[in-house]
Amino acid sequence: MGKNLPGYFGEFGGRYSPEILTEALEELESTYQKLKKSKKFKKELEYYLKNYVGRPSPLTYAERLTKLWGGARIWLKREDLNHTGAHKINNAIGQALIARFMGKKRIIAETGAGQHGLATATVGAMFGMETVVYMGAVDVERQNLNAKKIEMLGAKILPVTAGEATLKEATSEAMRDWALNVSTTHYIVGSAIGPHPFPTIVRDFQDFIGSEARSEFKKRNKKLPNAIVACVGGGSNSIGMFHAFLKDKQVAIYGAEAGGLGSKPGEHSATLTYGKTGFLHGTKTLIIQDEFGQIVPAHSVSAGLDYPGVGPEHAHLSQTGRVEYRMVTDEQALDSFLEVTRVEGIIPALETAHAFHVARDVAKDLGKKKDLIICLSGRGDKDVTEVLRLLGERK
Amino acid sequence: MSKIKSLFESGSFKSAFIPYFTLGDPNYNDSIEFGKTILDNGADILELGIPFSDPVADGPVIQRAAARSLKNRFSFDEIFRVTKAIHDHKPETPLVYLTYFNPIYHCGITKFLDRAKESGIVGLVIPDLPFDTEESEILFRELKVRDMDLIHLVTPASEKKRIQALTKTSSGFIYYVTSFGVTGERREFSVDLKERIKFLKDTIRLPICAGFGISTPDQANQISQYADGIIIGSAIQRVIEENGSDKTKTIAALADYISKIRAAIP
Ligand SMILES: Cc1ncc(COP(=O)(O)O)c(C=O)c1O
Repeated sequence: MGKNLPGYFGEFGGRYSPEILTEALEELESTYQKLKKSKKFKKELEYYLKNYVGRPSPLTYAERLTKLWGGARIWLKREDLNHTGAHKINNAIGQALIARFMGKKRIIAETGAGQHGLATATVGAMFGMETVVYMGAVDVERQNLNAKKIEMLGAKILPVTAGEATLKEATSEAMRDWALNVSTTHYIVGSAIGPHPFPTIVRDFQDFIGSEARSEFKKRNKKLPNAIVACVGGGSNSIGMFHAFLKDKQVAIYGAEAGGLGSKPGEHSATLTYGKTGFLHGTKTLIIQDEFGQIVPAHSVSAGLDYPGVGPEHAHLSQTGRVEYRMVTDEQALDSFLEVTRVEGIIPALETAHAFHVARDVAKDLGKKKDLIICLSGRGDKDVTEVLRLLGERK
Repeated sequence: MSKIKSLFESGSFKSAFIPYFTLGDPNYNDSIEFGKTILDNGADILELGIPFSDPVADGPVIQRAAARSLKNRFSFDEIFRVTKAIHDHKPETPLVYLTYFNPIYHCGITKFLDRAKESGIVGLVIPDLPFDTEESEILFRELKVRDMDLIHLVTPASEKKRIQALTKTSSGFIYYVTSFGVTGERREFSVDLKERIKFLKDTIRLPICAGFGISTPDQANQISQYADGIIIGSAIQRVIEENGSDKTKTIAALADYISKIRAAIP
């Protein structure tokens, strides 16, 4: 592997994981290369996406938000309408099919907000696979509804108490499990992170978001949108949204990352703003770290953005300037959450609410007769309890 | 010739004993005493762990050690100071660092290596830096000009083709991971351990030292019949975990454990 080979995005990416995982990663890579070309696999994947997930997801014109914000026309790519309520299911089905093809009967996953854990538990139930989900103990509390659903679906939740007990620790623990059980188990990585080939596989399984949005928008408007916006945690819904538009130079692309409570280390998850190049969870990427290369715990109001690293392709897109990444604070995200809910009758995930905040500014800057698509990465049912608690604190 | 190479060629033992512990647990000054004790009681090579916030290749015992260590203010100055003090106690025993790549990268590879060498370090083990990366090649080159070694891990899952490719950028010894998973004490090892080590010896012209999961004198004795070295980490770290708040007790317990293991290895 070298920097110009697959697995790298500019200087980022690669495979920096313990040696014990190398064979499994190589097997995954070659299996995926084969399946990607297989018509049968493509058909099978499309079958489940259409008949189980409910794809293609609609592109909704948000009339009231457009009026309220007074700028560009707002369109919503409705990943919240997918089965299980977020984009995560696209990737979970894709990877479960790969696992099945490789003859692995056990799947494991890490989860922050619980959406990826829920998606994995769901496909585990559907395909009859033993499923284990690692979740930070703090997130098991914050996202209790999802934790309960995961168990109801027959998967086992293993709460992780190390460190900050959130997504970073859950990811480390899932990697350790994989190292122990690598011959029987597939690790369904939930975001566009991790050692090669995960960032590429996850992006390809999420690419439906952007390519559907692009062709649907073009069909209806006979042109391309002026801008697109998505939120960035590890970066899977956003890379899925962005990828089909990267070559359309006239389309401005924005990522919204979690600015949390402030600019001090430990107060945010704004990797692309404050991160420095480093190595975490098997990939070379931008990471929030201290002056000695120790990883600094991340913070966000939304458990799904609470990660100190980011997918390597985003690090590259940020470096080249093709995508502009902006920070959104916890408070701003909470305001957008309430606004979208009341104005459009859609309760977005707290993660997605970050994208709405950036979109509002972009829409105003673009002005009328322009068009902007927001990736509505998931619905906010899982966040209702947490939002009520936060509103209680606000009073 | 590197210090590790001449040690293995000296023939002063049949199988080397290579203990590991994490620097800074429970504090840096106690680490100096622990290091001296381990050296005095029979370490042939000593592996010093530089703690990292996210040790994905480590099991619970070493994870907890890193977390305890990081409760102290981490700095490379402290790491090098402690290393130097341990080195000065017994300069003839080779010291190697075991750490993850991010802190090294962040410090700057050449700066890190210069200071490590000054402190008495003669080799590196980096569990999350596979040999087939550009960074590993750079590191190997930089180590070589300093007469230091890059010790790679080989696992029961490593395929023959990969093992052959790895010989080009390996030196010192090979760290053979005895079982699947992460570090931690185990009761059983993979069934073909002996055959794998024999194959490695024939393929890679370097000493093959076995680690991950070894804890008892019996296990050490048995594996030393065919491995060139025995690496023990979690079991030593457990001694520190159980007694660390009492320095005198820890030192006594370490001396006892280390000498028992050394005696079990021919
Ligand atoms: C609805 C939703 N959006 C976004 C994210 C952030 O992840 P990613 O950046 O991988 O899309 C999550 C993660 O759990 C999520 O549940």
